[in-house]
Amino acid sequence: MKLNKLNLLILLLVLALPFVTACSSNSEPAPAEEPAPVEEPAEEPAEEPEAVDDYEELMNTELILATTTSTENSGLLDFILPTFNEMFGIETKVVAVGTGAALQMGVDGEADVLLAHAKTQEEELVTNGDTLERFDVMYNDFIIVGPPSDPAGLLDNAPADVNAGYALIAENQAPFVSRGDNSGTHIKELSLWESSGVGTPSGDWYIEAGQGMGDVILMANEMEAYTMADRATYLSMKDDIDLEILLEGDETLFNQYGVMAVNPEKGDHINYPAAERFVDWILAPETQELISEFGVEEYGEPLFFPNAK
Amino acid sequence: MDNFVSGFQDAFQLIIDLDPEFFEIVRLSMVVSLTATFLAAIVAIPFGTWLGIKEFPGKRFLVRIIYTLMSMPPVVIGLVLFLLFLRNGPLGEFRLNFTATAMIIAQFVLVTPIITGVVFNGTKDRGPDIQDLARTMGSSPTQTVWLLIKELRINILSAVVTGYGRAMSEVGAVMVVGGNIKGHTRIMTTTIAMLRNMGEYSLAIATGIVLLLISFLINSLLYHWQQER
Amino acid sequence: MNITIDSLTKRYNNKSVLDIPEMIFDEGCLWGILGPNGSGKTTLVRIVAGLLDSCSGSVLYQGDEYSDSIKKAMTLVFQRPYLIRSTVYENIAYPLRIRGVSEQEILARVNELIESFNIQSIRDQKAWTLSGGEAQKVALARAIVFKPRILILDEPTSNIDPESIMLLEEKILDYYRKEKPTILMVTHNIQQAKRLCNRIAFMNEGQIIDSGVPAEIFGSGAMPKIKEFIKKGLI
Repeated sequence: MKLNKLNLLILLLVLALPFVTACSSNSEPAPAEEPAPVEEPAEEPAEEPEAVDDYEELMNTELILATTTSTENSGLLDFILPTFNEMFGIETKVVAVGTGAALQMGVDGEADVLLAHAKTQEEELVTNGDTLERFDVMYNDFIIVGPPSDPAGLLDNAPADVNAGYALIAENQAPFVSRGDNSGTHIKELSLWESSGVGTPSGDWYIEAGQGMGDVILMANEMEAYTMADRATYLSMKDDIDLEILLEGDETLFNQYGVMAVNPEKGDHINYPAAERFVDWILAPETQELISEFGVEEYGEPLFFPNAK
Repeated sequence: MDNFVSGFQDAFQLIIDLDPEFFEIVRLSMVVSLTATFLAAIVAIPFGTWLGIKEFPGKRFLVRIIYTLMSMPPVVIGLVLFLLFLRNGPLGEFRLNFTATAMIIAQFVLVTPIITGVVFNGTKDRGPDIQDLARTMGSSPTQTVWLLIKELRINILSAVVTGYGRAMSEVGAVMVVGGNIKGHTRIMTTTIAMLRNMGEYSLAIATGIVLLLISFLINSLLYHWQQER
Repeated sequence: MNITIDSLTKRYNNKSVLDIPEMIFDEGCLWGILGPNGSGKTTLVRIVAGLLDSCSGSVLYQGDEYSDSIKKAMTLVFQRPYLIRSTVYENIAYPLRIRGVSEQEILARVNELIESFNIQSIRDQKAWTLSGGEAQKVALARAIVFKPRILILDEPTSNIDPESIMLLEEKILDYYRKEKPTILMVTHNIQQAKRLCNRIAFMNEGQIIDSGVPAEIFGSGAMPKIKEFIKKGLI
């Protein structure tokens, strides 16, 4: 192919286009963000005195929050984080991965603060000195969803008893999609099979997806299968799928979230001051209130129930 | 760095152990990609050859479209197919989502433009000489096409291997339409993506190393073949 | 088979490169097509060989239009031949293969030619390892193995060694004497034309400015233009 000068110029322009727009999109929000923190601190200190001294220092720093996909996918973080960012002038980068990877990021010192829902493993991190103290933040609950035809008869026989429900699914060999990704949800699901007496599920009816919650719900919808989902992700997808809630309200299905600041001894790159602020902020009554408001407008019910002590 | 060191160790372990679950993943990867590449080759080799020797109005436009499709992001292909295959979608009745068949179709769509493009390029350069020869020898149209394919076989082989490499290394499309279901649609690239998400970095690297080894073997075979000609 | 040309024209980008109102290449003659660079020799023979479409006019072969049977009875040897990616033997066998000749007869005919061309030593060599002279011998052998009635040669002996030229000329003459085909041979070399050809067509600027037996074309009564070309060494 021969390129004459005009073609070459156009080609270069096209190739350069992503960088041009990338630059402008980088430069535009920056000035828009900056005035906000400058204004806010002037008002805020009265309400939250302990934050005053660190404001200057934290301004325009970056905080890396490693969390599970459920908090990001549900939209909770989009709902509450702007308040935090504005209050302190911190830019929070959310890395939403599986629980395993989120906790691993804490161990590797790749994140500053962790928000996850696998209490046992989280407490291990605290014991090992990978993170500082763990605090309860909120809980949400899991639900068992399935096709409206409900082939295993959960709704009739076990609408609020997860052990009986799982036993019914296994007995009928009704298709069940498992996360299969060692996530907090997956580990929870495995423990429920155990406690329901099924043991380790196997067979063609038991589908191990190895994917995130949203993908698994879509998959179960397509395959007309059961799955265990967190209520938030299910509700956010409800309009586009046929799956219905067939089992809910069993206390063992509650799912506790905890927050931990990564141990600053992992290195100078850990933004501990910001992490500390984040922990304080998410446990503060105002934020807890905000969490309980999330989802009410859209779904008519809260998705997360704050329970910080 | 620890992840890389332990990744190499794990890779050797995986190969030495002949872990059945892992080998099922490798086997399915190769079956899916080979089938997709084979089907793509059947369509793309004659099409690319034809495109290389034939002049017709709108050809430049068609070539540009093929070049664009060559760099189509796999995840877009996956998404489009996924929507078509949805139970309530236009092709829903075939229940293709989350099957190996859907993965083959996705890779077929990904690879066909690539093989077409590479074959077209080779034919465009040497095709006219070969066609002239065929004509002076009195070949029939069928014999001419056959001669073209035989003469351009090295280029065609490179095209097919390029396509196969792309199919094997692709994750976006197969993840969407396949779903990474253990024992059914889990292949090497989706395993790597899953392991990364699980924080199992060294096992992810190990799988990646095995994937590279397979690519290396295939490319070595091609190189060997090209030497012999 | 004679070749009759009527009002044949060819233009590239509106520039006329060929314009021949009328010409007959007599059957069974060995025509030398001469002329300076860019005079349209190659364009003419490519059109005659069916490799190139003309803009207007016609070429008839013994009164018939170009067809499959004409295609099968005619061939062209290029200045730089394309050899298929195989052995010398397979190259020469190719035209017989596509004509469905039996394996036994292919073996006999190809081996006979290989011997007569004295290329036994390279019989099983791969085509891409051959020298220019060797490649051209293979191309000529491949062209005459199926006994075409029209043999077109486009500068078959340029840029090759003198020994190969001698052999190629000898083989062209052998074939001509034996089969009495119509041969069109484009050449730059006036001595070669005098050695081989019994008819000459002289071209300039896309036209055949003179044609006839060599003695007329090159003799004392030659056209001043042709004399000038020869004197200046332009052909």
